[in-house]
Amino acid sequence: MTDSIIKRYYDALGKGKLMGKKCEQCGEVTFPPTTACNSCGSYEQEWIELSGKGKLLYVSHGMAPPPNPRFNDLAPYAYGHIQLEEDVYLQAIITGVSIDPETLKGFFDMGPVDVVPDILEVQGLNVLAFKQP
Amino acid sequence: MANKLKEPTYILGVGCTRFGNLLETPEIKGLSLQELAAEAAREALADAGLGPQDVDAVFVGNVTMQTSQMPATYSQVANWLGTQFKAGVHFDAACSTTNVGASMAAMGIASGVYDKVLVVGLESTQSQPKELSPFERGTIPTEEMWLWTDHCVNQAYSVPQGYDIFPTYNAFNALGYCRKHGISLDELDRGLFELCRTRRLHGSMNPKAIRQQTLEDEAKQLGFDDAWEFWTSRYNPHVAWPSRLYSVVTPADGASAIVLGRPEEAVAGASDPVELKGFGMSVMDLPWYTDDPTVMPIDEQSFQKAYEMSGITSDDIDYLHTHDCSHIMSICVAELSGYLPQGQGLKYAEEGRLRFDGDKPMSTHGGRHAFGHAWAASAGSDTYEAVKQMRGQAGSRQIQNPPKTAVIHTHGYAMISTVLVLEGGK
Repeated sequence: MTDSIIKRYYDALGKGKLMGKKCEQCGEVTFPPTTACNSCGSYEQEWIELSGKGKLLYVSHGMAPPPNPRFNDLAPYAYGHIQLEEDVYLQAIITGVSIDPETLKGFFDMGPVDVVPDILEVQGLNVLAFKQP
Repeated sequence: MANKLKEPTYILGVGCTRFGNLLETPEIKGLSLQELAAEAAREALADAGLGPQDVDAVFVGNVTMQTSQMPATYSQVANWLGTQFKAGVHFDAACSTTNVGASMAAMGIASGVYDKVLVVGLESTQSQPKELSPFERGTIPTEEMWLWTDHCVNQAYSVPQGYDIFPTYNAFNALGYCRKHGISLDELDRGLFELCRTRRLHGSMNPKAIRQQTLEDEAKQLGFDDAWEFWTSRYNPHVAWPSRLYSVVTPADGASAIVLGRPEEAVAGASDPVELKGFGMSVMDLPWYTDDPTVMPIDEQSFQKAYEMSGITSDDIDYLHTHDCSHIMSICVAELSGYLPQGQGLKYAEEGRLRFDGDKPMSTHGGRHAFGHAWAASAGSDTYEAVKQMRGQAGSRQIQNPPKTAVIHTHGYAMISTVLVLEGGK
């Protein structure tokens, strides 16, 4: 039996690692990992570990109660659009950021800020969130 | 990819129910989903001057199985549509469903397999069968509706890690729009207020819209003489700052239908046929954009494919609908399409240019906020409106010079960008 790519990703998160795939054809990074390169579609990829360092480009917040009941205790939470240094874009919960308009406007006025992973365990699942270092 | 229709395909008839709530809205209250679908199909067939046994195939779209509890939807509704023994299939392209269905029908017709195809979309976002009852329905909580709707979204990584539509499809796009075009957040708020006023004006002129009250009248009813004061009040909170509740979708129940066929299938005395000149589709998973949240690569591709197949440019467009369950995204896409100049969409809204009587009319049925959004049925409601406008049948909200070229864009969660190009009109 082989663990699915999805399970390996979440298990790695639990060890503090962000695991993705690098395409052997075009060299692009796919994160989170899938069976095919998200740039060229090639199935030939190798596992790589990402640094986790990134820029928070935009931050807002989600609704409460949240659509996914897993997050009932966290919502409403700040949610951000992030660019990782491997030139991968993703969206994630941002911890340590208040969701009042003044705070969020402050982030907008400031422009991109550095963020690093803040891996949470939410009802038994490892969840990739980010925070300011 | 040849990207050509080998034979011309026409929309011969369109149908659409009132959008609303099956438990409350007078025109559809108490109907089953089977009857709702039949109502839309019946209108479309009558519009085309055809009966249900005149079509060769029926494509039936429905997204939310939890509320329909009818997988294999086609075989379950065929007896209600009057199309038993015909070829049929249940399909799902989320909020692009009916227009993807129209594109598939065009392929079936242009290839020579079918002469006429009926496309139907049906959806309830408000209720589900009560304890497996065949006719009783019960309201579902909003968060449950979003949980089920978000089953359309990346289940490996996005939804399990806190995905939420409102920041992803509203707030980041709005902030990106401001940053890209040097627009202040106050100007954004004002522009979105004016855009909502326009959509609500259109809804107030459309007897099939879920919201038929202008924003100004709703404000007055709640004690505000000034609609702007109402806009910034607790009645219109930020669903995801800086995006407010009245800049987003109004979920609804509804059904729509389109009859397509070869031009020689048009029946004398029926409504004017409208040519489905071309279409384009492109799909991508989250995230839908990179460093510029105002541009989704799938939209660039779907417009390019549709323009190429139909041989038009953006200068030819007389009427545009862009998917507007996020008002700011509808402006971003309208600018991407070339119909509106870059960074000017909200200004055009403020100047009234996007109204039915403006020079750049958009979403004259009221769009997703005022007409309402019944996932699988909505793209068909957009096509319904475009066809009615092109024929001069849009009543009090008729565009003065009926459009000759109409373009309809939809985003099917998550995410199927679909563009139809229609040509015809008086």
